[in-house]
Amino acid sequence: MTEAAGGESAPADDRSWGRWFGRPGRSLTRRLIWLASGWIVLALVLTGWALTSQYQESALRRLGNVLAETIDEVVIATNAGPDGVVVAEIRDAQTDRALSGKYWAVAELDGEGGVRFIAGSPSLAGEELAVPRGLPGRLADANGATISFNDPGFLRPPLRQPLRVAASLKSLPGRSEPLVFMAAIDRTNIENDTRQFATFTWTSLLILGLGLVIAVFLQVQIGLRPLFSLRNEIADVRKGKAARIVRTYPMEIQPLAEQVNRLLDHNQETVERQRTHVGNLAHALKTPLSVMLSEAGSQKGDLPDMVRKQTEVMKAQVDHHLRRARAAARAQLLGERTPIAEVLDEMAVMLERVFEEKAVEIDWRAPDELGFRGERQDLQEILGNLMENACKWAKRRVRITAGPTGLGQMVVVVEDDGPGLPADQREAALERGARMDETTPGSGLGLSIVVELTRAYGGKITLADSDLGGLKVLLELPAAEA
Amino acid sequence: MRILLVEDDVDLSRQLKLALGDAGYAVDHAADGEEAHFLGDTEPYDVVVLDLGLPKIDGVSVLERWRRDGKTTPVLILTARGAWSDKVSGFDAGADDYLTKPFHTEELLARLRALLRRSAGIASATLSCGGLRLDPRAARATVNGEPLRLTSLEYRLLHYLMMHQGRVISRTELVEHLYDQDFDRDSNTIEVFVGRLRKKIGPDRIETVRGLGYRLTPLAGESEGA
Repeated sequence: MTEAAGGESAPADDRSWGRWFGRPGRSLTRRLIWLASGWIVLALVLTGWALTSQYQESALRRLGNVLAETIDEVVIATNAGPDGVVVAEIRDAQTDRALSGKYWAVAELDGEGGVRFIAGSPSLAGEELAVPRGLPGRLADANGATISFNDPGFLRPPLRQPLRVAASLKSLPGRSEPLVFMAAIDRTNIENDTRQFATFTWTSLLILGLGLVIAVFLQVQIGLRPLFSLRNEIADVRKGKAARIVRTYPMEIQPLAEQVNRLLDHNQETVERQRTHVGNLAHALKTPLSVMLSEAGSQKGDLPDMVRKQTEVMKAQVDHHLRRARAAARAQLLGERTPIAEVLDEMAVMLERVFEEKAVEIDWRAPDELGFRGERQDLQEILGNLMENACKWAKRRVRITAGPTGLGQMVVVVEDDGPGLPADQREAALERGARMDETTPGSGLGLSIVVELTRAYGGKITLADSDLGGLKVLLELPAAEA
Repeated sequence: MRILLVEDDVDLSRQLKLALGDAGYAVDHAADGEEAHFLGDTEPYDVVVLDLGLPKIDGVSVLERWRRDGKTTPVLILTARGAWSDKVSGFDAGADDYLTKPFHTEELLARLRALLRRSAGIASATLSCGGLRLDPRAARATVNGEPLRLTSLEYRLLHYLMMHQGRVISRTELVEHLYDQDFDRDSNTIEVFVGRLRKKIGPDRIETVRGLGYRLTPLAGESEGA
């Protein structure tokens, strides 16, 4: 539940495609990759467009120069006399051969917005160049300069040469009306060149773009790797696999790792301080309580009886509130791991010594690698009280079995061969924190500490019958991953 | 019976002195750790009641010093915090029993009687194997003079091995002597306990004879019965 609320996703999700190509809002990786890819595509498209249009323009300019030369030659060869316009022979293999792809023509304005051809190159083979509408007007606007345009071509199939045409309006001596000089060249070759160049350019840019996007992808992956590793380390701390962040990180995130460690230390210190306070308070109160208890116990009468009874109540209250304070302080701790076998061993050795008169035998079993995800002191408190209780009630035997149950949990079973507890009293025993061991003085409320601590760790405690004959206490506690 | 009472609270000390005196003990009282250490070191007490929260030197340190000096007097510790970590550190320092404050005087007297009964069976014929020593009457074992902290099952296993040192003992034989009833007669159990014993006494003292069982031998270089 908390996992989902914390917005934390399982590691498996991160490896899926959705991580890279999903909505770029909350992933740093996605944001970096999308941003870089966007820039790359934009820059490459602009580059491609600039290159191809530049190439086309220079090709047309070259064509324009050839056309202007041809027009000049025709102008020089043209004479306007009283008997009309005469164009002298121009020696040019291309304009002589029929439909060679290079043409020239001379025309006069017909006064109706069109032109009338007077002469043309032999290559025209009797055809006329197509003239767009409004050409005379445009020529007049150009004020003697040459204008160029694309012509759809000869109107005679199957040639259909697409032409580049240049036209110029010139006045010749001996003629009042200006003449239109035109030259045209087949632009098929140039268009093929331009198309080839464009194909080549766009293919190259596409490959370059893909290469760059892959490079960005790798760079982000490698660049952000320390971040992923930090995230895993923090997860380990949370799961109790590690106590601190230990790896060294690049200087951009090393301060973050240090802050996390400092926070963990601070957390630890706070709990430690809390515990010391609580311990001091306990010490300060309990010795006077001992005095009152024993003073009142040594005398007979109503007053001593009342004092003794009230002292017992005070003692229970003090115990209860101190425990609550301690349990609240420790629930926040992260990164603690306590090997359960060690605690079971030290408790078993100690309690067998304490219950030596009775010759209680404690048989404990736990895998060496099994760890409790929490403080050693708390595990000592939980197991100490349960085992002490078991020893107290046992005839001879106490058995403790601990093992992992998977899913980060473990179960600890504490059994004895004593009288056990009837089923109808078990609930009450857990709820009231077991005042039933009051008959054995000096022991306090062992079971209630266990219940409170177990709950503080999100664990569970159940009572049942043991096949040894006595009570069986089942504890579910968080386990630390080894 | 001479008893040393170490407690810094004036009222509690007075009461305990009275109660202990009434119960027939000759009581010496120390109110701080230094005085306690001095008295315990110089006077032959039968039993000691030691509060852990003391001025000058704390109770655990006092106890550690006594044990380091070879004092075996049984010690009952009083803890006010009631935390198990305090009890554990008290036991690691060499305590024999604990009592959590506040307690009833009768409880204290009963515990002291039990402690004295236990320590009454003083040194008997000890078993030894190299640096290992085992006192069957007191049910205590040491390795190179350091006390071993064994559970009763571990102790029983070690005892049996020491009684038959040098001989190969089968798992079945061991399991029969480990449990007096019919519980857990699973020979894997023996592996578990041998493993734990090896951790506590050193890995090489118990030898595994494949297919046959285990054998306890002194370490190379340790003279027998030294």
